[in-house]
Amino acid sequence: MRVGIEFLDRARTIAREVVTAYGAKLPHMRECDVRIEIGVGKGAVAENGNVKRAGEDYGFAIGVHALAGKGALASGYVGKQLGTSDVGRFDSILKESLATAHARAVASADAKVRVKSRFTAAGSSIASLEWAPVRIDQKTIPATYKVDPMSVALGTVQEATLDGSKLIGGLDQSVVYNVVGASTTIIRELFVGSEGIDIDNTYAQTEAIVFVVAHGPNGNLEFYDSLGHQRGWEILEEGIDSGPIQQPGLHDFARHLGKDTVETCAAPPMKTTEGPVTVVVDPHFAALISHEIIGHPSELDRALKYETAYAGRSWFLKGLGDDMRGKRVGSFKLTAFSDPTIEGFGHYLYDHEGTPAKRAYHIRNGVYEEFVNNRQTAALFGVPPNGSCRATDATFVPLIRMTNTTIAAGSDDPARILAEVDHGYYIAGHRIPSIAESRENFRISAIKVFEIKNGQLGQLYRDGGIMADTRDFFMSIDAMGNDWRLYPVPNCGKGQPMQAKRMSNGGPTFRGRAVVTGASS
Amino acid sequence: MKTMKELEKAAEAGLKRALAAPGVEEAEVFVSENGTLITRLNYTSHVPSNGLEEPKSVENLGVGIRAVFKGPDGRRNGFGSESSDISAPAVDEALRKAREGAVADPDFVSLPKPQPGARPVLENYHDERLMSISADHLVDAGWRTLEGALDVFESSEELLGLAGGDRSKLAGLGLILGGDVTMLQERMAIASSHMPKPQSDQSTLVMSFTTAMIESRAAKGGGCVVGTSIETDFAQAGRQAARGAIASVNGKRAPGGQYDVIFGPQAITDIFHNLVIPGLSLELFYAGATPFAGKFGQRIAASGFNVYDDGATRGLAASKRITCEGLPTGRTDLIRDGELVGLLSNDYEFQRILRDKKAAEKLGADPRQHRAAMAPRNGFRFGRGGGRHFDSSPGVSATNVVIESSARENREDLLGKVKNGLYIGRIWYTYPVNGFSTGDFTCTVIGDSFVIRDGKLAEAIKPNSLRINHNTHKVLQNVIGVTAERQGTILWAADQIVYAPAVAVRGVSINEIAGYMESV
Repeated sequence: MRVGIEFLDRARTIAREVVTAYGAKLPHMRECDVRIEIGVGKGAVAENGNVKRAGEDYGFAIGVHALAGKGALASGYVGKQLGTSDVGRFDSILKESLATAHARAVASADAKVRVKSRFTAAGSSIASLEWAPVRIDQKTIPATYKVDPMSVALGTVQEATLDGSKLIGGLDQSVVYNVVGASTTIIRELFVGSEGIDIDNTYAQTEAIVFVVAHGPNGNLEFYDSLGHQRGWEILEEGIDSGPIQQPGLHDFARHLGKDTVETCAAPPMKTTEGPVTVVVDPHFAALISHEIIGHPSELDRALKYETAYAGRSWFLKGLGDDMRGKRVGSFKLTAFSDPTIEGFGHYLYDHEGTPAKRAYHIRNGVYEEFVNNRQTAALFGVPPNGSCRATDATFVPLIRMTNTTIAAGSDDPARILAEVDHGYYIAGHRIPSIAESRENFRISAIKVFEIKNGQLGQLYRDGGIMADTRDFFMSIDAMGNDWRLYPVPNCGKGQPMQAKRMSNGGPTFRGRAVVTGASS
Repeated sequence: MKTMKELEKAAEAGLKRALAAPGVEEAEVFVSENGTLITRLNYTSHVPSNGLEEPKSVENLGVGIRAVFKGPDGRRNGFGSESSDISAPAVDEALRKAREGAVADPDFVSLPKPQPGARPVLENYHDERLMSISADHLVDAGWRTLEGALDVFESSEELLGLAGGDRSKLAGLGLILGGDVTMLQERMAIASSHMPKPQSDQSTLVMSFTTAMIESRAAKGGGCVVGTSIETDFAQAGRQAARGAIASVNGKRAPGGQYDVIFGPQAITDIFHNLVIPGLSLELFYAGATPFAGKFGQRIAASGFNVYDDGATRGLAASKRITCEGLPTGRTDLIRDGELVGLLSNDYEFQRILRDKKAAEKLGADPRQHRAAMAPRNGFRFGRGGGRHFDSSPGVSATNVVIESSARENREDLLGKVKNGLYIGRIWYTYPVNGFSTGDFTCTVIGDSFVIRDGKLAEAIKPNSLRINHNTHKVLQNVIGVTAERQGTILWAADQIVYAPAVAVRGVSINEIAGYMESV
């Protein structure tokens, strides 16, 4: 009998016992927690009109975190991928894992004390690890869906990808390759902490990705984009129209991306402008700006230099007591926030430390306001935890992540934002980003770039995008649309080992000034 | 961890069981156990820090089965896996999943068959002691890396000078060491219809990837150590990064323009990992999404420039005995004397391109005339930061990528050729901004970089003040010098190790960026 999400009813009881009774007996243990996750789903991939892969499977994993030490506190972690055969010995697996995490924490704490005393000048900042206290809640959160992922036949998923792939292939002779993938999954996560936090969260996750390559007079062009939401299969069959989340079904989505690829591939390459010009970005492009230029530098671990070797630092913070909070970083038109409590791919009510979720305003009317944090960085920064710590799955240690991170709606009519431009460029659909290390500059390419002449869209270009210094770009924003949209982002990478996390990003149409980039080739 | 014998027995027994099941025409049983041990480094002298973040591990064990089923509507092939168990019930469960998900793939020919005359060459090439490393050892490796950096920081006369001769003010300079120590433990065994005798492999890889900063002076340096032994000197990664940061104190801005550039080993690794190596994979040729489409057999780089992938040489850190398809690893020449002569492939892609009617157009040559150049030596099941994963089908991954030139030059030779330009030691976020097929890319310069004046390294370049906007073809075609000396280099989230030299390139387009940061 294959393990299913129902097993977590029993696992919850075992986990409570392990983190309290067993964990308390381990020497110098301050606090510990266990995360258990089971997901059951199915997926398929079609390529050039043929189904290439399909399958139905489950994932079962645990993560055990310990905070312990004698002269100082440090943490240790164990992540394990489990299977059906582990059900009967789950109790001993949890205990062994907690003992290992604890041993790692104690060993690291001992070394911390030794190194701190050895380096009398540089070692003074090495400090005991503290986790900020959070409210102790016990909560069970059910999934929301119309079509239960468990009820969907694998053949249905295969047909959906096959239809999408055939549709794209038949659009135009210039399409040389396409892939359509789709999956639907139900996931149940437990968080059980030694302080009494006990969160049981179940959610559905349904998504699709489309990749198209077309051939044109200026060479090949490849586009990809994704659909996704914490809902059931209905989002790929019917699409969704719910506030800022407006997604077509998979069929229409595949058709749109295929047509975009064909049209753009036939267009001439964009030439880079001499300097900044007026640009109007659409909500899809605004989503990647909110992700890369606002969300990432607003992660407090990154701001506190934890990611110096990997994902980079943040120009919003130089050091403790020297940051951009309360300072202007953009025009008064710019407001941006992260909010996991609203629906989206980054939705949850408790994060993977058991902290209640809440909205964090990063920028309000152009003034920087708040970072997203976890218990460790909140304690260090002297602010309350705001529930922004999550892992890709239970085997990985949770990190500070964006949630539903978005530029907020303004009050301007999008049609008017465009109509007011004598000459400029309309930047439609995000493609590929490259961001400076502290997010102080960026270049992001677009699906389509149109010249704007006298308020009207003109020539379409391929290989276009924008490049700007972040503050200059934000300060130049002079119109913010009321057409707020939220899009799924399925693959945000962070941490070591790299964790690719799902979230939502969004924004409305807005106008500013940037260099419009073109082809180098 | 399971012993190699246990894994081999499980693969052999699993294959017998799978082949005995109704309708199974071909089967391949892959069992593996992996451990990824990591400790992240996070030291900041001006912000209270842990020094080391959580020492941690990700562990998995299981069985994956690829099978071909015959039925009334023809052949179907599928994949299924079961986690945490390699016994008979797990094999049955994996096979059930493979059967339920099986599809009629017109491009599928067969499961991998042994190549005539090809045999694995590596035996006993890993450090057995790394397979049973303790929590103390992992923690110790991390702290030793940090101590390497702190030794350099505390003994530096330059830093002491910057602190006004007052050791108690060293911390106020904003010293940073970030990065990680990673240890991979991999064991696998495979048996299949076409290779029924179980084959196995065990490999280890240890690495440390570091970045040091003197933040108040906008100085950044990188360090890197890769090896296969428990005795690897992790502290070297800390020392190297700290020395690099000290060497680039008080960096200056350089104006934008076209520069002749020497790319250091890390920068070359970044360009190859993100732009070149993916474009040399057969699957991207099939899809038409590589910048090198239609260029097989043609010049794509400067003469004398060579690149090869070699998964079978003892002493190279990413070497393996066999691929995750049970085939021998080996050397694939990719670029020889500037000409595109080989591609990375797994068995599926290899079989597919041989039968693709448009193959000659996609490649620029008939693949049937170049079978050895794209033989399946790179079918691996890498992922999740390390390991050979039973729950995924083989993809195409590089192993040890070696970049070299027929000319035996050193760094001074390259500096003399460039005379006035830039040395760029570290770049970041190097992406094919207009898609792979165009070759266009952009990235920013984040450290270990200097102005070259009169053939010598001059002042350091301030990190994050330059953005490169250029093209992969132009980089490869305008190579004017390559050092004979190479460094084994890793990148965040990369599977392969690049043995990278410094490479001088003519006419690189660079923009100055983020001037406003001077006043923030």
